[in-house]
Amino acid sequence: MINAVHISKHFGSIKAVDDCSLHIRKGEVICIIGPSGSGKSTLIRCLHGLEIPDSGELYVNGKKIDFTRDTTKELSHIGFVFQLFNLFPHKTVLENLTLGPIKAGGVPEKDAVETARKLLARVGLTDKENAYPAQLSGGQKQRVAIARALCQSPEVILFDEPTSALDPEMIGEVLNVMKELADDGMTLAVVTHEMGFARKVATRVIFVDNGKIVEEGTPDQIFDNPQSDRLKLFLSQVIHM
Amino acid sequence: MTAFERIFTPTNIIFMLKGAGYSLLIAICALIGGSVLGLLAAMGKMSKRKIPRTIANVYVEVIRGTPMMLQILLLYLGGPVITKALFHFVYTPNPVLIGTIAVGINSGAYTTELFRSAIQSVDKGQWEAAQTIGLSRIQTLKEIILPQAFKRILPPYINEFIVLIKDSSLLASIGAVELLHSADVLGAKYYNYLLPLLFATVAYLIMTLNISHLARKLERRLAESD
Ligand SMILES: Nc1ncnc2c1ncn2[C@@H]1O[C@H](COP(=O)(O)OP(=O)(O)OP(=O)(O)O)[C@@H](O)[C@H]1O
Ligand SMILES: [Mg+2]
Repeated sequence: MINAVHISKHFGSIKAVDDCSLHIRKGEVICIIGPSGSGKSTLIRCLHGLEIPDSGELYVNGKKIDFTRDTTKELSHIGFVFQLFNLFPHKTVLENLTLGPIKAGGVPEKDAVETARKLLARVGLTDKENAYPAQLSGGQKQRVAIARALCQSPEVILFDEPTSALDPEMIGEVLNVMKELADDGMTLAVVTHEMGFARKVATRVIFVDNGKIVEEGTPDQIFDNPQSDRLKLFLSQVIHM
Repeated sequence: MTAFERIFTPTNIIFMLKGAGYSLLIAICALIGGSVLGLLAAMGKMSKRKIPRTIANVYVEVIRGTPMMLQILLLYLGGPVITKALFHFVYTPNPVLIGTIAVGINSGAYTTELFRSAIQSVDKGQWEAAQTIGLSRIQTLKEIILPQAFKRILPPYINEFIVLIKDSSLLASIGAVELLHSADVLGAKYYNYLLPLLFATVAYLIMTLNISHLARKLERRLAESD
């Protein structure tokens, strides 16, 4: 579905992503883990053109993405959920959800609103459709952001640390929504520090260090039988925390 | 009859008020035109590509680095010379029209910075979120960025309007109808410049003080809605 081939991205002299290849297939739930600054965000952002790779290729459903052109329309069926939600503060929850479908997708307003209401119900926020983002808790904001991504009828949703900015008591509600999406067969790729979620929900775990994909496998392989020293070290540090 | 009575006849007062109306109109049109230019130049300055960046920079630096009077004269006197040389086409420029265009071009260079800083004050994540839901850059600007930048722009923007009302007086030098020009005409007619100029002073003050008063009220209202 999304196939990144030998992608690299530098920031000045820093190699944030160093020759990574990642193929996301339909129905997979991929968790990307790794130490801070290892390039996880940059990697996942490259998959949505939020960072433009310096080299390598990106294919979406077999079609090569040409980053010298505007890729916004082409990639709009990939959802993206940000660590800091990035909701539009001057729009209501419902408007946040319908803006993309109406303005970019050409969906009639009535249909867009109907879909948005269904998706709000799916994330458990039916009563908040007229609220503004500032009136919501962190967990609610992130659930709205997930519903907004769902409004794009995405084939896959990418998450960049969706629970890292949340108070501990709100992490669960967001992870639950994500787990339900996974159970419904949605394709997900999630950068996360939530090892419990990765172990339970992921079909594949990818360990990134120093911009490189160091190891990948099923949760059992990664967590119970790590091969590389770097992954062993990382896991020992995460478990100590 | 005193000089006061001779000069401030109903006809002459209407003549002066008409000049004040033109000053306002010139300022409004220049502000609107300048905003379009300023917004375009701000986009140019923030562009990833070099050509729009260069064009925008040259525009802003040239306008801000030269006197406005010179720009007005260049456009007013130079325009017909250039069209004659290039197209063998001579025209008599309309001072109000050409003057308004000159003031608008000038204002655009100053509002560029205003728009740019207001746009950049909006969190980058807003652009990114808009991109992921498929909005084009123009749609993002219109739907997401400008509404949020608006509050920041408003106070300096109204200040720019006041500046333009005052700057439009420079157009008196090319004979455009506006407040200072009307005062000048009456002064010449009655060999008394003082009274018409004092009238213009009061009229400028009424316009500018009212606008800044309105701006403060609006600012307060906006601050409350936060
Ligand atoms: N816009 C940028 N400009 C310059 N350097 C950047 C930029 N974005 C990321 N980097 C650098 O690239 C490297 C990888 O950053 P990235 O954010 O992808 O890491 P990460 O794995 O997501 O880390 P974290 O767990 O802290 O979110 C880091 O060294 C970071 O400082
Ligand atoms: Mg990150």
